[in-house]
Amino acid sequence: MNNLAVMPVIVPALAGVVGLFWWRCGTARRVAFALVGLAQLVLALVLVDSARTHGPAVLGVGGWAAPYGIAIIVDRLSAIMLTLGAITALASMLYGFAQQPVRFEHPLRLPLVQFLVAGISLSFATADLFNLFVAFEVMLIASYALLTLEADDRDVKHALPYLTVNLVGGALFLGAAGLAYGLFGTLNFAGIAARAVEMSGDPRVMAWAVLLLTVFAIKAGVFPLYYWLPNAYPILPAPVAALYSGMLTKVGVYVLLRACGTLLPHDLTGLHAALAWLAGLTMILGVLGAVSRNFIRGILSFHILSQIGFMVLAIGFFTEYAVAAAVFYIVHHIIVKSSLFMAGGVVGVLNRSDDLDRSANLWRTMPVVGLLFLLPALSLAGLPPLSGFWGKYMIVVEGVRQGQWVLVVLSLVASVLTLFSMLKIWNTSFWAEDPSVPVRRDDGRWRGMAAVTGGMVVLSLAIGLGAAPFMDLAFETAREVLDQEGYVRLVLGAAGEAVAAP
Amino acid sequence: MLIETCILVGLLVAVAVYLILQPGFVRILFGFVLLSNAINLLVLLASGEPRGRKVPIVGDAVGGLPPVDPLPQALVLTAIVIGFGVIAYLVVLLYRTFLDQGTADAEELFADAPGREPAAPKAPTQEAGR
Repeated sequence: MNNLAVMPVIVPALAGVVGLFWWRCGTARRVAFALVGLAQLVLALVLVDSARTHGPAVLGVGGWAAPYGIAIIVDRLSAIMLTLGAITALASMLYGFAQQPVRFEHPLRLPLVQFLVAGISLSFATADLFNLFVAFEVMLIASYALLTLEADDRDVKHALPYLTVNLVGGALFLGAAGLAYGLFGTLNFAGIAARAVEMSGDPRVMAWAVLLLTVFAIKAGVFPLYYWLPNAYPILPAPVAALYSGMLTKVGVYVLLRACGTLLPHDLTGLHAALAWLAGLTMILGVLGAVSRNFIRGILSFHILSQIGFMVLAIGFFTEYAVAAAVFYIVHHIIVKSSLFMAGGVVGVLNRSDDLDRSANLWRTMPVVGLLFLLPALSLAGLPPLSGFWGKYMIVVEGVRQGQWVLVVLSLVASVLTLFSMLKIWNTSFWAEDPSVPVRRDDGRWRGMAAVTGGMVVLSLAIGLGAAPFMDLAFETAREVLDQEGYVRLVLGAAGEAVAAP
Repeated sequence: MLIETCILVGLLVAVAVYLILQPGFVRILFGFVLLSNAINLLVLLASGEPRGRKVPIVGDAVGGLPPVDPLPQALVLTAIVIGFGVIAYLVVLLYRTFLDQGTADAEELFADAPGREPAAPKAPTQEAGR
């Protein structure tokens, strides 16, 4: 059973390699990749179930036990993230199939998406700091390639800032990993956690923690390290943008949560407070950026940042309730954000542009598409009973409980501004009537694209309307993430047994 | 040995930071090359003082000396390979940008309406029709 823990990494990596050799694009290739995506989803769901019933799956790679070898651990949080990654990747592939006729497909896109998923999955599954660095690099190299693969000559320059910031982030992460080995004598999460608790109060631990969290904040796009994101994402083709917007920054949020919950001592309250304040600034500046943009993908890209702020704010509050809110928010956000990018892509096909000046008439001619945009947009703004409401409600409640009035007000203002910028899209692209703007209903691609978007919207509605089971899972996950002693016992204890067994 | 390496790392990082803060992307590239070397040295530092220790090869007995910690060396090896691949990619991307735009200077590249709709005229038809 434990060997299953590494399969979410192996399956996409193998599929990517096979895809490189299976160069000719065709329907058979598409079906094969879709089946691989489906297999990943099933695998991830099995892992969620096993993490809930049997506890986390622990695997020492190559039979090397935990303190010496690389450990792969899939607990509830990892399994949830793996599931979300699989859902987004599958939806993004299907959406891409609908958007692009097979004869125009770039043969590298699907293998690169698989490599990206392999890197993302490894980041979620690994329990070793250096292995996490490698996972990040696998993910980033695939993301650089995808970013520039189909960008045209005018746009490709926007990849340079993305690349530069992430390269520096990668170098800092490598430094943090080396320092961790020097400080703690191990790279295993559990080993570091155990040593860091013993060394609690040592200023070197604090300095190292700041370095590590800086790296993860770059990845997550937290203020003031976010400017690489909102200009880079709009140059992506819509299906890949949906995958990026859903998953890439959320890997950063996941490692932030993992670092605060599992790796670092829990008494670094100053660090948590700093994180919360930076999150507040991210929230408000991200949404102001969104208000300033005038095309759908640009607005949505800035919203990613603003939403990251909410999740990091919850991590910064750092109580079981707040972490549960963060987990629920991540689940909600990944689905909703991807579906919004997909809906934006449908607008782009129907109006031939997603620039707000050149897009109109959609509500009158295509009410279905209007609903596909409106529901996730309202959910993103946090209107009850949609999925965005519950996460925001819990974060605000926790803020009030801790007396952080400024942060509470900032988050509410950010929500109102989110609603405002969503209504800006709604008022022009959907509500406004402009006879000079054509609606290309004859372009049959929108049906398939809208169908995939609809699937994601239904999922997000299900999360919002049937929130109770998701909330239970979020609370279980929060308890598990914050149970540092249990984690150490699980990994190093399990390692002891593995050593004893012949 | 450790102190000297520390000073070298500090020096390299200082130069790298200076170069990365320059507007030209070619300088940023060189800055990154220096930075990754500095970080590699930093990771190597984690194996501790190498004097009085033997190379970490099994069966290689040099007067019963203890071996140096081999793990940071393995980490650095991995990091060098990754860094090399990324630098190669960055060079090619810079070359393409330079061919398209005739400049690799950030201020000139992003002079037109900073941060505004990079891809607005590109309708998805072109995307599909490539």
